[in-house]
Amino acid sequence: MDIKSNTIPHEDDTSGRTAIAVKGLNKWYDEFHVLKDVSLSVQEKEIIVICGPSGSGKSTLIRCINHLEEHQEGSITIFGERLEKNKKSATIIRDKVGMLFQSFNLFPHLTLLENCTLGPIWLRNIPEYQAIEQSTALLERVGIANLAQKYPGQISGGQQQRVAIARSLAMEPKIMLFDEPTSALDPEMIKEVLDVMIDLAHSGMTMICVTHEMQFAQQVADRVVFMAEGEIVETGPPEQVLGNPKWDRTSLFLEHILSH
Amino acid sequence: MENQQTTKSELLKFVPSPSRPPVTITYGPIGWLKKNLFGNIWNTLLTIAVFTLLFLLLKPFLEWTVLKAVWTASTRRECIDISPDGACWAGIFPWVNNLIYGLYPDTLQWRINLGIGIGILWFIPLALKKAQQKMIFSLMGVLLYPFLANYLFLGGDRSNFHYIMACAGLAYLLILYVNIILTYLNRKRVEEYLEPFLERFCRKNATRWAYLTIWMFITVIIAFILRNQTLEHVSVDAWGGLFLTLIISGVSIAMALPIGIILALGRRSEMPIIKWFSLCTIELVRSVPMITVLFMSVTMLPLFFPNTMELNKLVQVLVAVCLFAGAYMAETVRGGLQAIPRGQYDAAKSVGLGYWHTMIFIILPQALRAMIPNIVTSFISLFKDTTLVSIIGLFDIMLMARNISIDKNWLGLHSEPLVAISVLFFVFCYTMSQYSQRLEKKLNTNR
Repeated sequence: MDIKSNTIPHEDDTSGRTAIAVKGLNKWYDEFHVLKDVSLSVQEKEIIVICGPSGSGKSTLIRCINHLEEHQEGSITIFGERLEKNKKSATIIRDKVGMLFQSFNLFPHLTLLENCTLGPIWLRNIPEYQAIEQSTALLERVGIANLAQKYPGQISGGQQQRVAIARSLAMEPKIMLFDEPTSALDPEMIKEVLDVMIDLAHSGMTMICVTHEMQFAQQVADRVVFMAEGEIVETGPPEQVLGNPKWDRTSLFLEHILSH
Repeated sequence: MENQQTTKSELLKFVPSPSRPPVTITYGPIGWLKKNLFGNIWNTLLTIAVFTLLFLLLKPFLEWTVLKAVWTASTRRECIDISPDGACWAGIFPWVNNLIYGLYPDTLQWRINLGIGIGILWFIPLALKKAQQKMIFSLMGVLLYPFLANYLFLGGDRSNFHYIMACAGLAYLLILYVNIILTYLNRKRVEEYLEPFLERFCRKNATRWAYLTIWMFITVIIAFILRNQTLEHVSVDAWGGLFLTLIISGVSIAMALPIGIILALGRRSEMPIIKWFSLCTIELVRSVPMITVLFMSVTMLPLFFPNTMELNKLVQVLVAVCLFAGAYMAETVRGGLQAIPRGQYDAAKSVGLGYWHTMIFIILPQALRAMIPNIVTSFISLFKDTTLVSIIGLFDIMLMARNISIDKNWLGLHSEPLVAISVLFFVFCYTMSQYSQRLEKKLNTNR
């Protein structure tokens, strides 16, 4: 796996082609309208932070992008590939998109190394020794190569989340989705995960992060998307949305999370 | 910034205090007795009462089984003459051979010993640390061993396919052991010696092809050596005793898990036909007593097959028992599947794994692991339930034991054989439960 070096300055990267195009997305859980006409376009190598109160549909939106949830109306296109309601389409999409979860979801019965090599060996038909080499390099990159033979239950939450990042990267995705990756972590461990994410952002990965880490947003995000009640309320550069919001809902939310 | 640095250097340095070994409180055996049995007057009285009761209950049993038992005699009459209220173990000994091998001819019993021995050999490597690919060779065992066993136990003229499969089984076992020995000597595996020669012809999977080549080569050699050996045919009617019990329970235990997994996955499937088929099978089989299923398999199964096809009783019983065991196992497996959090499915999907990959690598290993106690409980009860086949006239160990009482020398000897096989069953079942506990401990260290 060649990880792009830090030489590409990510400020210029927004000029790339469209990575994700979400148009008029609507989704219901039974009667409940979770996503209301959501449209969002993400350029290649762009870093988007989605924030908003709980129940605003942030997680549902990125789960739809990965086809972990089905939407009822609208379209999702990833690098020109439209997401259809069949397994083949989902497979194509998931090949390009990696995802991180709030609860890490490592496979507890496999060692950390096996967690990373499973996908490459069985889906990309890479010889075992090569997959091990590649995954070891990735584990080194996230700073836990020395724990490769341990099991997920034996390491801390922060370390688990970093392994989860390595596991996703092993499939060489073009887009990474983060579903509140630090919400289940102790304050001391949040930083170690954010550092890896920042490093990833600088390496030119296209990222959508659902997170409440506003500092992270200010530091690396190209755009911040604020969602409430299943709608996108406002979108813009972090200084604008976080520093000088247009809408009262945004400002109320920011007051709440910054007040403690 | 400068301020911060100066304050930093003034801070006290935190050094964690060293860990201490845990405080252990050890009581000697006398201390334990004092604390638990004779702590106060009430406890002392209770202890004495319980021990007296135990003594009164166990004394007649001990007298019957050991103290007043008769070990050598030639008829039951003699036994009663020697000691009227002791067990007559003498009656068991002349029947030991029948209890183990049924009516299998004495001169051919080495075939059973050999067959069971090979079966044990096949699964010994499971307990070895350095043995590789445990899943694969246990799967191969389930696939190939039946041919080998059938060849040995049944004998007679077998089809070429059957013969080749039996030889392939032997060859596989041979390579397995050679590889294990080589691994323990820190040498390369057999196929890796051949690999360089094959790399010229096939770049991809050279190791796999090397392995297949060696396997086929040895199979052919074994087939050639054994080409003129025909084993005498022994009809299934002559099978019996512990041997038959082991065959029925072995086959049903080996089949229960795969059938159970398939039915459990089927029941959770989103495809309606598969779902309803699995659901109906499970519910139908589970709601009928096992004896009924056994009777039906003997009386009704032949109706579904053409007249020309001759089914033997054993095969019918095996089909019934496997189906029965599979349906129960399906519910156990389903319980395990439900214990897996949704996040595991999400993670597997986001890595890109499809349904079968997800099931085989992620979900089933975890589900089965969580269900080990339940699975082993099913296995144990299955092992004991196989004694029911005596009711439809298969001479398993149970019917053999009952038959002692109608032997003219040992007429009316009912209790002793039953006690004897109870002990035997206890040994088998307790071993299984101990093994499962060891397995659990071993697998739990990973967490």
